Amino acid sequence: MFERGWKAFKQFLHGLAGYEFARHALEMRRELEAVFMVVTMGDLIGVPILPPVYSLRLLPYLVPEIAKWKRQMARRKEFWEKEEYDLRGV
Amino acid sequence: MNALIAVIIGAVTVYLAYAHYARRIDRNVIQSDPKRATPATLYMDGVDFMPTNRNILFGYHFKSIAAAGPIVGAIVAATLWGWLPALVWLVLGVSFMGWASDYSAIVLSVRNEGNSLSAVAHRLVSPRTRTVLFLFIFFYLLLIAGAFVGIMAQVMDGQPKTPLGIILLVAMGLLLGQMLYRWKMGLLGATVITVGITFLGILLGPLPAIEGTFKGFNESLNTMTGGAPIVTYFDPTLAGFKGAEAKIMPSLLFWAIAICLFCYAGSVLPIWRMAQPVVYVGFWITAMAMVLGLLGAAVGTFVKPEVAQFQIPAFKGWNPQLGPAGIMPLWPMLFVTIACGAISGWHALFGSVGTARQIENEADMLPVGAGSMFTEFLLGLLALLAVSVGAKGAPVGAFANGLGGFISVWGVPVQYAVSLAFAAFIVIVLVVTQLIFRVMRVTLTEWLGEVIPPCRNQHVASFISVALAILLVLTGTWIYLWQLFGAANQLMAALSLLLVTVWLASVGKDWLYAGLPMIFMYLTTVASILVTAYNLYFNVYQPNLVAGRVIPVVGSGLMVLVAILLVVAALFVAVDGWRAFVRYLRRPAPAPGPAPARG
Repeated sequence: MFERGWKAFKQFLHGLAGYEFARHALEMRRELEAVFMVVTMGDLIGVPILPPVYSLRLLPYLVPEIAKWKRQMARRKEFWEKEEYDLRGV
Repeated sequence: MNALIAVIIGAVTVYLAYAHYARRIDRNVIQSDPKRATPATLYMDGVDFMPTNRNILFGYHFKSIAAAGPIVGAIVAATLWGWLPALVWLVLGVSFMGWASDYSAIVLSVRNEGNSLSAVAHRLVSPRTRTVLFLFIFFYLLLIAGAFVGIMAQVMDGQPKTPLGIILLVAMGLLLGQMLYRWKMGLLGATVITVGITFLGILLGPLPAIEGTFKGFNESLNTMTGGAPIVTYFDPTLAGFKGAEAKIMPSLLFWAIAICLFCYAGSVLPIWRMAQPVVYVGFWITAMAMVLGLLGAAVGTFVKPEVAQFQIPAFKGWNPQLGPAGIMPLWPMLFVTIACGAISGWHALFGSVGTARQIENEADMLPVGAGSMFTEFLLGLLALLAVSVGAKGAPVGAFANGLGGFISVWGVPVQYAVSLAFAAFIVIVLVVTQLIFRVMRVTLTEWLGEVIPPCRNQHVASFISVALAILLVLTGTWIYLWQLFGAANQLMAALSLLLVTVWLASVGKDWLYAGLPMIFMYLTTVASILVTAYNLYFNVYQPNLVAGRVIPVVGSGLMVLVAILLVVAALFVAVDGWRAFVRYLRRPAPAPGPAPARG
């Protein structure tokens, strides 16, 4: 009981304090990965337009991310939905 | 009345409303189903759509919605009508409306493929509603920016013990960004260093040498004009609402510009460089003050009874006689003066795009959405307690004295505790204001970027935002500005509840729990805007026009114009909403399709 409560409190504290940084780190990583996806796009569709030796080496790491990437790119977004425009605390 | 009784009332309210009303709605009306897939699990993309533990999400959502709003509103309302009406509205508002608005916005988004309120409005009500939402957001931001910059400049100018801590907060925020993102330091170590130094700066503020330095600095600024004010205007809310000539001295203008420069930097720099770490450092300072204050309020009655006794009158009348300040009837004005502690439109907007997409399980919607709102209610209650026991000074001063008294229960000398309370207040407002300018900049770019290409430039857009806010500050009449902001915020809450009502009707569910608060908030908000516009026109615009004062006339004229626009927008929303509601009552809508994709 006490252990569960303590764990929940720690998670709450993480949500209050550190979670924002974790989300921002994910956001930055996504932006970087989007660049990699673009450079490997040629190989994905069979039209190699960039030096394939590098992009092919990256490909195994990127293939598992393709489904997520597609969702991110294809979803319609309002301009205030980007994390850095969240108006916190009103 | 003392603080302990108020704390008990707060705790009982939370228990009764959550356990016996909110849970019943969640179970019987919404019928949340832990087995139903949420957008976070269906469309998991690793960032926006991300199933997240409910405790983490509770903390994240609470931090995202709670800060300046509930505190400033409670302070102003207690000063105008007494503590009792403010307490009653906080209790009833959160119990029957606030939680319903926040929770339902999350439900609406979760049950509609994670779409935002505007996208749902576009589909369920009419395309025009989405445009109206943009209008609300723009004026909402402008009003709150003016209100917050104004009150911060007054405190920084009038309380020379405060600036050191605030300057250090900004410096430490910049340092924290560098430590985390460039030097790759651990969060714990960086937090200890930056928060520790900021805290030290706040505690050193009241030292005579430091306080004297800032006092001397302000005085030297004022001698630049030979002690003459830069702008003079008639403000009917001054001198205990008897009305007086207000003077904007060079030192006040300096602090207003300094705050705007800081916000400008927060607006144009990358989020990690300034805005985000400043918010983080500020969070710890305010959390420390609030936790110490709330616990101090609870035990103060036993340990130090003199700091826990209410000092201000319980009730000052239904329509306090404000002389030249015009009319301030309890209905509708109280209900927009206290916005966020009772109900807030921005929460719904944020909840639908930020939080709803991280809900792992439908059973989490209630603890996260409603739970956060009830916790924010406690923050509003603390602000009300602080101002009710503080008594001395202007509204913010009374709040700081009261909160300082609560903190002093823990053995902190009163002058340092009050200094911490003043700093906490400024920190809460400052961190929000920099984000407001950031969002304003993007809003302007989205709106005017196509028509006026220079507005796409982030510096131009930021400069316009800052200039408009400064204009509102120079107009004075802060209380009217705050109430107009509150009205825009509450109107957004009414719009959110309207969407929820239409959606509930469209899926054949009982809509009363959202529909009745929506009708109340809608009528109250429109009435309050008309009252504020009346006060502004007859008591600010006309006297300053007669006196030939250009800046106050332009500023108050702008506020009246904004008020009229808000009412017109509200009428459009009501007509469209009613048509959609009647349509769905006759014929429920088909289930929503997948989230729309860019073509």
